[in-house]
Amino acid sequence: MEERKIRLKVNGKDCELSVKPNELLLNVLRNKLGLTGTKYGCGTGDCGACTVLINNEPRLSCLTLAVTVDGAEITTVEGLATNGKLHPIQEAFVKHGAIQCGFCIPGIVIMAKGLLDINPNPTVEEIKEALKGHLCRCTGYINIIKAIKAAALEMSKG
Amino acid sequence: MQTKFISREQKRHDKKGERLSSQFYTVGKPAPRKDAIPKVTGQEKFTTDVVVPGMLYGRVLRSPYPHARVKRIDTSKAEAMGAVCITFEETPKIKYNERIVSIPSATFKDRTVLTGKPLHVGEPIAAVAAETEEKAEKALKLIEVEYEPLEAVFDPIVAMKPGKPNLHDHIIIEDKVVEIKNNIAAKLEIAEGDVEKGFQEADIVIEREAKLGRPYHAQLETKSAVCVPEPNGGVTIWTTTQTIHNCRILIGEIFGIPLNKVCVKKVALGGSFGSSIQMNTILPICVALALKAKKPVKLVSTREEDMYDHCRYSMIIKYKLGAKKDGRLVAGQMDVVVDIGAHNIQAYPLIGCMAGWLVDLYKIPHIKYSAKAVYTNKAPACAMQGFGNPQVNFIAQTMMNEIAEKLGLDPIEVELKNYVGLGDVFWGQGPTVRSVIRSCGVEELIKKGSEMIGWRNRGRPEEKKGDIVRGIGMARGFHTSGAGGPLPGEAVDFSGAMIKINEDGTVDVIASLQDMGGGALEAGLRIVAETLGVPLDCVELAPTDTCTSVYDVCLHATRGVYVGGGTLKKVAEQVRQKLLEYASRILGTYPQYLKIRPDEKRKQGIIYAEGISGKEITIREVAATARNKNWGTIAAVDSLRQAQCPPAYTVYFLEVEVNKRTGEVRPVRAVVGADCGTVIDPIYAVAQIHGSFYRGLSYALYEDTRYNRKTGELTNKGFLSGYNILKAPDMPNPDDVQVFFASTYEETGPFGAKGIGEAAINPVPAVVANAIYNAIGVWIRQTPITPERVLKALKEKGGE
Repeated sequence: MEERKIRLKVNGKDCELSVKPNELLLNVLRNKLGLTGTKYGCGTGDCGACTVLINNEPRLSCLTLAVTVDGAEITTVEGLATNGKLHPIQEAFVKHGAIQCGFCIPGIVIMAKGLLDINPNPTVEEIKEALKGHLCRCTGYINIIKAIKAAALEMSKG
Repeated sequence: MQTKFISREQKRHDKKGERLSSQFYTVGKPAPRKDAIPKVTGQEKFTTDVVVPGMLYGRVLRSPYPHARVKRIDTSKAEAMGAVCITFEETPKIKYNERIVSIPSATFKDRTVLTGKPLHVGEPIAAVAAETEEKAEKALKLIEVEYEPLEAVFDPIVAMKPGKPNLHDHIIIEDKVVEIKNNIAAKLEIAEGDVEKGFQEADIVIEREAKLGRPYHAQLETKSAVCVPEPNGGVTIWTTTQTIHNCRILIGEIFGIPLNKVCVKKVALGGSFGSSIQMNTILPICVALALKAKKPVKLVSTREEDMYDHCRYSMIIKYKLGAKKDGRLVAGQMDVVVDIGAHNIQAYPLIGCMAGWLVDLYKIPHIKYSAKAVYTNKAPACAMQGFGNPQVNFIAQTMMNEIAEKLGLDPIEVELKNYVGLGDVFWGQGPTVRSVIRSCGVEELIKKGSEMIGWRNRGRPEEKKGDIVRGIGMARGFHTSGAGGPLPGEAVDFSGAMIKINEDGTVDVIASLQDMGGGALEAGLRIVAETLGVPLDCVELAPTDTCTSVYDVCLHATRGVYVGGGTLKKVAEQVRQKLLEYASRILGTYPQYLKIRPDEKRKQGIIYAEGISGKEITIREVAATARNKNWGTIAAVDSLRQAQCPPAYTVYFLEVEVNKRTGEVRPVRAVVGADCGTVIDPIYAVAQIHGSFYRGLSYALYEDTRYNRKTGELTNKGFLSGYNILKAPDMPNPDDVQVFFASTYEETGPFGAKGIGEAAINPVPAVVANAIYNAIGVWIRQTPITPERVLKALKEKGGE
């Protein structure tokens, strides 16, 4: 299969890549850009471990062909902390014990970023609904929900 | 059968615990875990993230048949396109058991790296490696295989019948060939007292059957391995595992490589829940590929492959239970049939442990237990959190509730009359691992929890009107902390660690114990910091592998804190002695008068002589002096066998909402009391309970792997999409899940601690069933408790 050139802005950096038409964004991020924070969990869009922001919207990179997002801005979990300072969502996950094995966490943190960008003060029900597409087997979601609530509060303080 | 060995000592322990806990610097204080930052920023490296220059990608050819014989296999076309291929014909024929937690005489070996006689859909036949995954996938499709399909059995009861195909004609135990008849992989019978006499003495006898499903672990990281062949003939390995040392021993044995040339590196594990207690099937395949290719190979299971690789033990349990009018139990008889799937990973320890879980729950003078573990042509079952305990608990705790109801007694009263507690003998890992219980918070947990949930106001099922009704249930559970005991037993259980003080006063901890994510090693670091008297900031886990660490058997049996933490405390105490000795040389005092306190600002441990001003020195200064004066490294390495296996206890109170029209059950509120002795890490002890509660609810209400009896395939074909699992919207809200701890102190544990993990899942299926009973007045003893089963039970009740 012939490779095609695409341009992406990944975590603020422009990059030009040669990709095959059937190449998944997940594999491009992990294998070509070394951004292994984004995880493969199921390949069928059921677990949410591969979630990244595509033009600020949480999307599943395991179901996205890289060629279809040519020109897009991508944010992965590696792009949330700025100048070595954790994003308030990351801070809250650390503080509230929301992280156990940690394999699902990059996808959930990215989803939370997308959620709080459009809904800065979500209810518990709204957070639970947003977590529907994410599988976490360790935490029972309880501390994750608490962390997202706490992050929303912290971010509302500016 | 239970005898009191100690009494009235609990108070003393509690007092001791209180006195100590007020003096703790690090233990019991909330602090973020060390691996939280790499995990939340995506920098943590899991096996799937390991990249080695020049590595090939592996793929596995798996059987499409549940039972077949490979008549012909031809890899020439795949090889012609440049792929490296291996088949069952050329990989080692040595039979192994991938789980070597038990001693050799209790380890049943029935499988090989690849097989020409697959026993379940998805069993590996051959494998390829190529420069890209795409090429490997293409090569896989070019392998020609001719199968002779054989008759398959999916039901363990049918599998035991004469004339049914034998999955394994023989297996190997130690070096002996052992014949297998009627697919019975293992059996066990235990009796104490006279059960017939016991039932005659009983005022009430009930007999029930429970069927427990076959959940899949659904750990987020699929089983993976990376193997680098080394110039010395050895291999370097990264793999998903709960035990780096056992993987090393097995790879050495299978491939005939001396162990000092097998280096298994510890790497973060993306969840496990028991599914990596054994060496995963893909690891020896990856090693075989790498050895043939003479190049590094990475092998990552797809989710579909993973779902055909492991699951929880499903079983049918019959239980007959007799009690006196006052609720005291007099006799019990349990008969179990376990469906173990295609391989006997640990059926023998399982049925032994289950006998233990039975006698550990209630004091029953006359008891009889029999269990059979049966092969079927399904994915092999293995350990999953609780290891037979949730299953035994499910039938026993629901029947105790039923007996209480029938006798007109409060289930709590019946629990308190019968539970195994302080001074009783506890079977921590089946009949061969026993010790005396020295700490027990059951009464405290039940009393406090029942008040918090509003137990007395729960009402009776017949009083509840309408289509949507609520009910409150209670169930109690426990689990062992490790598999230690005063006698060696059939389980290997010791841990080892090395701790050293660096020249700047920081501390390296080299522990081969794995952390599945629950935080066992994070607790371990707190224990080291507390023992040494240094700030937690000074203590780090060093990158660890099998060549540079001492042996730990495996993270399982809720042994992380009690055995792993206990070992770290023992080694840290030796380091502390050395530190004090060196400091006393510098300070001109005696080591026995020196103490150490953490100084958070200076990020140092301060060694001082109490009450003597000026006699104070930082650990950094001691370590630097030891270097400059050539005294040597301040370090220690040692192993620890815990001579006890103390139970951690949990009590669950759960409120559910049942929709009588749809059959849906919704958990709405829970109070969970836990006795884990001293709480080492308050944030993650609670988090362990949250997670266990979740997995228990999902087990009880949603999860099962089902098989197409014609094709032998999973009905969901291995896709997560078709696998029912509890998701965030179905969990009770965070504020509606309350967790509290008993004020106990386990004198044999590090700073009074014992385990928690598995204790926290074991009563969950039972509490769900008990709460459903309180809502709608029917007992459902089949998991998952699906809406269809609720409706069926309601219909049957209506028809009575």
